[in-house]
Amino acid sequence: MNKKILIIDDDDDIREATQLCLEIVGNWQIVTANSGRMGLVEAIAEQPDLILLDVMMPDMDGLETLKELQANTSTKNIPVMFLTAKAHPAEQRQFTRLQVSGVITKPYDPFELSNRIAQVLS
Amino acid sequence: MSNEQSNLEQSQHPHEITNRQADSLGMLLHRMINRIRQSLELSVILSGTTAEVRSFLGTDRVKIYQFKADGSGEVVAESICDRNLPSLLGQNFPAEDIPLEMRQLYRQERQRTIVNVAAKQIGMSALVNERDSEYIQFRTVDPCHAEYLTAMGVKSSLVVPIMDDHNLWGLLVSHHSSPRVVTERELEVVQLVADQTSIAIAQSNLLESTRTQAKQEASINQVGRSLHSMTPMQLRQALQQAVTALQGSGGRIYIAPQNSDTEAQLYVSGEQPVLLSKGKKTTAAIPLEEHPNWRTWFKKAMQAEGEIQPWAIGYASPKGIAESNANLLPSNLERAFKPTNIKSILTIRLEHRQQILGYLSIFRQGVDIETIWAKRPDRDDPRNQFPRQSFETWRELQQNKARQWESREIELAQTLGSHFAIAIFQYQMYRQICTLNTSLEQRVAERTTELQQTNQQLIQEISDRLKTRDSLERLSHQNELILNSAGEGIYGLNLEGITTFVNPATAEMLGYSINELQSKAMHKMVKHSTAEGIVYSWQDNPIYQTIHTGEVHHVTNEVFWRKDKSHFPVEYVSTPIKEKEEIVGAVVIFKDITERQIIDRMKDEFISVVSHELRTPLTSIRSAIAVLSSSGLDPTSSKSQRLLEIALDNSNRLVRLINDILDLERIKSGRVAMVKGSYDATEVMTDAVEIMQSIADKAQIQLSIQPLSIQVWIDRDRIIQTLTNIINNAIKFSPPHTSVEIAAQLIGDDLVRFQVKDSGRGIPLENLETIFDRFQQVDASDSRDQGGTGLGLAICRSIIQQHGGQIWVESTLGKGSTFYFTLPISR
Repeated sequence: MNKKILIIDDDDDIREATQLCLEIVGNWQIVTANSGRMGLVEAIAEQPDLILLDVMMPDMDGLETLKELQANTSTKNIPVMFLTAKAHPAEQRQFTRLQVSGVITKPYDPFELSNRIAQVLS
Repeated sequence: MSNEQSNLEQSQHPHEITNRQADSLGMLLHRMINRIRQSLELSVILSGTTAEVRSFLGTDRVKIYQFKADGSGEVVAESICDRNLPSLLGQNFPAEDIPLEMRQLYRQERQRTIVNVAAKQIGMSALVNERDSEYIQFRTVDPCHAEYLTAMGVKSSLVVPIMDDHNLWGLLVSHHSSPRVVTERELEVVQLVADQTSIAIAQSNLLESTRTQAKQEASINQVGRSLHSMTPMQLRQALQQAVTALQGSGGRIYIAPQNSDTEAQLYVSGEQPVLLSKGKKTTAAIPLEEHPNWRTWFKKAMQAEGEIQPWAIGYASPKGIAESNANLLPSNLERAFKPTNIKSILTIRLEHRQQILGYLSIFRQGVDIETIWAKRPDRDDPRNQFPRQSFETWRELQQNKARQWESREIELAQTLGSHFAIAIFQYQMYRQICTLNTSLEQRVAERTTELQQTNQQLIQEISDRLKTRDSLERLSHQNELILNSAGEGIYGLNLEGITTFVNPATAEMLGYSINELQSKAMHKMVKHSTAEGIVYSWQDNPIYQTIHTGEVHHVTNEVFWRKDKSHFPVEYVSTPIKEKEEIVGAVVIFKDITERQIIDRMKDEFISVVSHELRTPLTSIRSAIAVLSSSGLDPTSSKSQRLLEIALDNSNRLVRLINDILDLERIKSGRVAMVKGSYDATEVMTDAVEIMQSIADKAQIQLSIQPLSIQVWIDRDRIIQTLTNIINNAIKFSPPHTSVEIAAQLIGDDLVRFQVKDSGRGIPLENLETIFDRFQQVDASDSRDQGGTGLGLAICRSIIQQHGGQIWVESTLGKGSTFYFTLPISR
């Protein structure tokens, strides 16, 4: 049974490209959501093994979504990795205090992303 | 008594006074008195007297014998019967011919003598006591006396002294070659004549004295005129006059130097002594009066002189003719006179007011003195101890003899010397006054020049000071203006951190008045704190370090506290204030950086957003390309194709994004010039619609134009860009089968308002302003879905602002939005 990964990102192209990459490279099962709110729904419904969560999204951003995920008993144990386009060290330092499994900076190398996912899943 | 009787009888011998004689006696006296009265010339009187007396007595020779100072004498008047006795007129007789004892009797006793050689009798009659004046005491004549008279051929003589006051002037002598008796009456008459002669002599002396005095006074006046009446003083002329008055051959005036700065002055007349020194003539260099030997001699001579006044020096150099009272010169000075004919000098020390001014010297050359002696003296002949046996005349000639300075001459010289001294003193005073005047004038001129220079300097200094003051005032005013106008807070601190000055901006930023901040410990007022708001000690403050080390500190991460206990971030620079390299305080310049921090934050946010917007398409591109290149995926598979499409789309998106970012920045910075022209508003709207028509058709949106024929002043391409951007947004967010209306309307006299109205979902109220900011889409995903970059409206606003217009939006959620912008009409 392939592991299931939930990608939550408001950018359609990133979401689709990441999905294709992970399917091709990691042969994982991919589900996606285009907003934080939809991501919560999908996470509860799909119970993925790992969630790739975009930080900067309209309405409910990644931090808020993470809080919701961690607040939900059905999703609080699902490891979450942040996908972020904020590359400034000061911006990234704020993520270290959060209980996430990793922070992946955009644009990322799909093979590196896959390795990081694999490490978390193992 | 019998003897007296005998003498009387003898005296009355043949020459008793006859009546004729008695008659002629009165006449004689009368004539003599008249002669004395009529003539003041002594020689005439004396000559007349001898004639009258001889006539009266009837003797062979009557002479008047005048004594000289040395006791010798000369026959100065005579009346003779030369058949009986020879003339003795002009002949001199040595002093021993009439011994001193006899001369004393003549003077003291007024003794008269009557000698009868034949009778060997001499009658003596003293005139001291008038009671006995006619008494003649006879005694035997001294043999030598008798011999003397006999040798002269005289048998009878009568001698009556002639007095000048109490001095023996001379003798009235009657000689007769044959025995003759002299009666008392005759003696009385002759005595009367002698008395009259004395009167005549006294008068003559008085006349001579008066004449001499007049002459001297004339000389003094002449010299005085030269000295005092001429300007400048004619010393040489006065000297010449003095030399003449004193019957000198030359003279000189030596004026001693007044001080070490002046030189001695020497005025000379006639022949001068030549002072030799080491074989060279040094008269010009060393005046005689400056020779130390001369001065010693002069001083000694003055002290040694007896009767001669101390300021008068007699001089006679050649041996044998030195005067008894002459002061011999030292030999080395004597040599100075040897080459000359000068034989005597009279030197007067010129003194005035106890000040020795110099010396007046009068020189005299030697004179030849001829004396006719009644007999040649031969002092080696022992017979000279005896009466003369012969009166053969002998002529003695003394040549080049120094002439004696007479007392009247010395007095004259003294008087002239006084005039010279006064004149020289006055002249020196005059010179001193002239010098002082000249010096004073020079000093006044110099002082005037100095004062003028000082005045000029003062004027210049005052001018400079005024300029400096003006400059300082301007500078101070400028500084005040700068301080008052400066946006930054500026305050000064002394070494204790107390404020010395505060500018208005400081007070305003801190919420105090300037007075509240003056002379205060600024650290306590602003409560220096870290960026986190933690107050720290004054000693840890960088300004404290500046005051104590002179280091300049630039602080950017502190906060100051206001009076109302609020705080604000500050950036400040503390710089030491130095006076002569010594730190006396610090000046602090600070500014509120709240706005700058906001801008920095916005900039950071913008960079963050731009970074995000750039990284988003890159993420898709990189992922796609990485998988396609390394996964071994079949390039022809649908996944490969899809990945390629994603990569291409995002590449295009990235290009647009970069273009828009650059475009926006160029427009905002003004680097892209608006190429404006006059264009018809309808044409512009039509062009934009034509561009967007295909997109509208694809979205099933109808585009409509409400034309307005008016010329607007625009950059046509940029306005079309703006319109197409807004129309594109309208199409994007409008549901199909709706319309987008484009219209224009004249607003006022000079503006045209364009509008694009859609029937889309509308914009939330809170986004109406922000949608014109960069990357401020209502929904980014919507935007990206529609191919937007998030910069379109920001670009539109920049373009409209570059045209001087405004852009805004009115919207109702669910009903649609209307975008407006205004542009100027063309004139």
